[in-house]
Amino acid sequence: MEVGVERGNGGLMIPPMDLETIAIIQLSVCILIGNIGIIFIMPTVVVMDVSLSMTRPVSVEGSEEYQRKHLAAHGLTMLFEHMATNYKLEFTALVVFSSLWELMVPFTRDYNTLQVVLVTDGCLGIGRGSLRHSLATHSQRSESNRFPLPFPFPSKLYIMCMANLEELQSTDSLDCLERLIDLNNGEGQIFTIDGPLCLKNVQSMFGKLIDLAYTPFHAVLKCGHLTADVQVFPRPEPFVVDEEIDPIPKVINTDLEIVGFIDIADISSPPVLSRHLVLPIALNKEGDEVGTGITDDNEDENSANQIAGKIPNFCVLLHGSLKVEGMVAIVQLGPEWHGMLYSQADSKKKSNLMMSLFEPGPEPLPWLGKMAQLGPISDAKENPYGEDDNKSPFPLQPKNKRSYAQNVTVWIKPSGLQELNRLRKAALAFGFLDLLKGVADMLERECTLLPDTAHPDAAFQLTHAAQQLKLASTGTSEYAGYDHNITPLQTDFSGSSTERM
Amino acid sequence: MKIFSESHKTVFVVDHCPYMAESCRQHVEFDMLVKNRTQGIIPLAPISKSLWTCSVESSMEYCRIMYDIFPFKKLVNFIVSDSGAHVLNSWTQEDQNLQELMAALAAVGPPNPRADPECCSILHGLVAAVETLCKITEYQHEARTLLMENAERVGNRGRIICITNAKSDSHVRMLEDCVQETIHEHNKLAANSDHLMQIQKCELVLIHTYPVGEDSLVSDRPKKELSPVLTSEVHSVRAGRHLATKLNILVQQHFDLASTTITNIPMKEEQHANTSANYDVELLHHKDAHVDFLKSGDTHLGGSSREGSFKETITLKWCTPRTNNIELHYCTGAYRISPVDVNSRPSSCLTNFLLNDPRYKIIGNLEIPLERAKDQLEKHTRYWPMIISQTTIFNMQAVVPLASVIVKESLTEEDVLNCQKTIYNLVDMERKNDPLPISTVGTRGKGPKRDEQYRIMWNELETLVRAHINNSEKHQRVLECLMACRSKPPEEEERKKRGRKREDKEDKSEKAVKDYEQEKSWQDLERLKGILERGKEELAEAEIIKDSPDSPEPPNKKPLVEMDETPPVEKSKGPVSLLSFWSNRINTANSRKHQEFAGRLNSVNNRAELYQHLKEENGMETTENGKASRQ
Repeated sequence: MEVGVERGNGGLMIPPMDLETIAIIQLSVCILIGNIGIIFIMPTVVVMDVSLSMTRPVSVEGSEEYQRKHLAAHGLTMLFEHMATNYKLEFTALVVFSSLWELMVPFTRDYNTLQVVLVTDGCLGIGRGSLRHSLATHSQRSESNRFPLPFPFPSKLYIMCMANLEELQSTDSLDCLERLIDLNNGEGQIFTIDGPLCLKNVQSMFGKLIDLAYTPFHAVLKCGHLTADVQVFPRPEPFVVDEEIDPIPKVINTDLEIVGFIDIADISSPPVLSRHLVLPIALNKEGDEVGTGITDDNEDENSANQIAGKIPNFCVLLHGSLKVEGMVAIVQLGPEWHGMLYSQADSKKKSNLMMSLFEPGPEPLPWLGKMAQLGPISDAKENPYGEDDNKSPFPLQPKNKRSYAQNVTVWIKPSGLQELNRLRKAALAFGFLDLLKGVADMLERECTLLPDTAHPDAAFQLTHAAQQLKLASTGTSEYAGYDHNITPLQTDFSGSSTERM
Repeated sequence: MKIFSESHKTVFVVDHCPYMAESCRQHVEFDMLVKNRTQGIIPLAPISKSLWTCSVESSMEYCRIMYDIFPFKKLVNFIVSDSGAHVLNSWTQEDQNLQELMAALAAVGPPNPRADPECCSILHGLVAAVETLCKITEYQHEARTLLMENAERVGNRGRIICITNAKSDSHVRMLEDCVQETIHEHNKLAANSDHLMQIQKCELVLIHTYPVGEDSLVSDRPKKELSPVLTSEVHSVRAGRHLATKLNILVQQHFDLASTTITNIPMKEEQHANTSANYDVELLHHKDAHVDFLKSGDTHLGGSSREGSFKETITLKWCTPRTNNIELHYCTGAYRISPVDVNSRPSSCLTNFLLNDPRYKIIGNLEIPLERAKDQLEKHTRYWPMIISQTTIFNMQAVVPLASVIVKESLTEEDVLNCQKTIYNLVDMERKNDPLPISTVGTRGKGPKRDEQYRIMWNELETLVRAHINNSEKHQRVLECLMACRSKPPEEEERKKRGRKREDKEDKSEKAVKDYEQEKSWQDLERLKGILERGKEELAEAEIIKDSPDSPEPPNKKPLVEMDETPPVEKSKGPVSLLSFWSNRINTANSRKHQEFAGRLNSVNNRAELYQHLKEENGMETTENGKASRQ
């Protein structure tokens, strides 16, 4: 990809390692993102140090002589092969850097977590623009000249050191690299080589990265007796419900059990923690083994996929049904944790089976009530959707209405004074008895101003209301009860006493 | 996020001493009508709220916003202080609403200006507030019970908001010292109690309020740590709307709220119904709702909010939603809101629009356990072919009445009858040699012969029914009917034929007795059959479901409805079953026909089969026409 990075040409200069290179990552990601429809991917950007120090030879007892960059290349090959096998849909970019970078395009879209794999030997360079210098002057930066970390998006920064711990600890390199992780809100990890630098140890270091960040999440999707082996992608992250009372991160079950189906209109675009593709997989292939399947297996794998394509798969049935019926499936992810499976259109022709995770808890979506109380329609005494499917039990009404759904009285602003009985009640609660007297005076005055044509009842009712308010304003009589309502005076001018107030 | 942070428990302590009856000296315009009327009317004297009224209505507004946005797990305890402390409610969730608080406040009434000021003090209320903070809430109790040995993780923090009229800064310090001391004492008590919890953190918010126009005797002081347990801040606020504004700011700070203003909402004018003007409505909600805006750098900042309060609001432009568009949108958060100005017309227009969902709603919870849904899915998927070409019965409309009910946990008599009718209907189809929708994909030539097709169909139907026989005794009866009626492979038939000859002899005497009864019932059955035939002709076209089987069609009710009109044969004829009528009918019909109708002859054998089956299972004598099978 063209990102205006000076390609390392190994050996002409020893440039300082410039971690501002990370700014390049931002623009590379935005180039990736722009090309795809829905963003559920967890792209990886590999940032490879190609400065001269990476060409330092590694003393190996064997015959061949390796440079650090050869070791790095070996490790990265392993990572890429793993991703080619298990993360076919994933986007990966390789950025090499020595000292220069240039910002090309600002961000245009939103996306999930970005994984940044930085490969370096930990030689941080010297002088202006070097990491040491950048960290030392970190606090002096202005808003316009912000340090690239933390990234303004969710990210994980993995630093793969082509050096062992002792080597890094002999300088302040490790401290500087740790600062980087700290600056990224602690999101990320530093990997160093255990023991002498050799192919085997590099392989084991990258193996650890793969285990941590690139292990495919395999699960069994179940609906009664129907099942399918699936990969959930990207891997669902553990979730902490309450750091204080329940600090252990919750992880989702590998048995994903469908517990029912609900109309899209009823679930109505609920908030979710994350979204994942649900991909049917054919299990028991060598490809599942981390780091083994290389090119030889491709043929086998293809034929395995072809066979798998002919076996009826529950995912296909489920996806098709959800699409046709306009419904989502509620899936149990763990104790008191649910999610939903649904069809999401990628383009006009293509759509995918996806899973979104709700926040853990007994009632993640208040308008559906408690998840544990969503039973089958057939168990209801009366079909809650009506015989003609013309109504819905959702959204559920809350037991206590919110202030905006009821006639609350707020008198902070003068425009808030309404209606006699509401006024009376609120005045009593707020201890604003003068208001009651004032309104009573007002009603009495209105009475004296009544035109001759007014119904005789009007005068009686106004006087009655004024009296009632005055009684309430004394605050002592039986008329000052909060729940007492002023009712119209019973008069015999009209046969029926109509509500006047 | 922490559930048990300081905002889990808020105690309001409002001063009810005589001086709180004093006027706030901010007039309330209430005699509005006079302005537009004829002259000569003297406007009524303006009135004003007391310090008490201002304090109470501002705290109610605080609670209103809090309850709207946090209907659960954020609790308020309201205490009024004069010659003693009056605790108006408890921590229980039922006590947590405005109506309860308003009713309790009405019972307290305004302060008595003639009461002895020496007896009255805000201290009573503050002591009660500390006491109440030690009381465990139902949420704390639940969490502790759930965590068992980790119960100590459940925190006990709280906030005391005290609205009073203090005399001086040293008076304020005295109040603070009193709270600190009380906490110390009560924590000692709580340490030895199962029902009380020690206070880990307490935020004291002291609000000194005084009439507008007077000088404040108390100075503001930002939050200060008085001890590891207690922090305190002092706000000196003029009464009236100033106090209301202060409490509004505080509720936002205490509950991490932020403001969003929806702009340009078209609303019909009250005066001119056919014109509309655009309005703005300011809403409060948790500030997390803004996280993504702030990250994107586009803050949509619309300057300070309309209320002129200190903070900023994010403006969003109204878009009238397309109502009939049912789609899932990606949503990262949903947040409860509360209008800043709940009584205003634009606010209520907006909230009414949002609340009046055009669809019909029912009130209350359905409350059917989710486990029942899992159970149902289990039953429905016991036999579920996933591809069309792998199934015959789910491609046949004629099977739907049986397939749709057999998966149920229990069957009604009517369900069983419908299943039996379905089976007889299939028998009839077989007799007439009707084609079946058997897939010929992957087979050479025309596919299996007709009798082979029926054998496949019967096998599949049997698989379906057998998957459910343990549901209930009635399911068992459906299987019995199926086994009695279905055609059998030739070799099996031979075996049965031999068995039958023996049985015939045994049964002859009994048979004579029943002939009369059967003859009479038969007339009814013939009538029923006629209706069936008619119904089937109408059905013939729709017999084969051509479309996908993924969503089972509702059963075609037409013929069934007609059949329902006939009086139930069983009822009028006592214990003689429909099965026996049918079997006899086949028998009679066959006996009249030529010998070469071997298939019909075989169906006679089915009758013999039924009795053998019962004999084997129950070891009891059975009669030829299957009466005993009905128990």
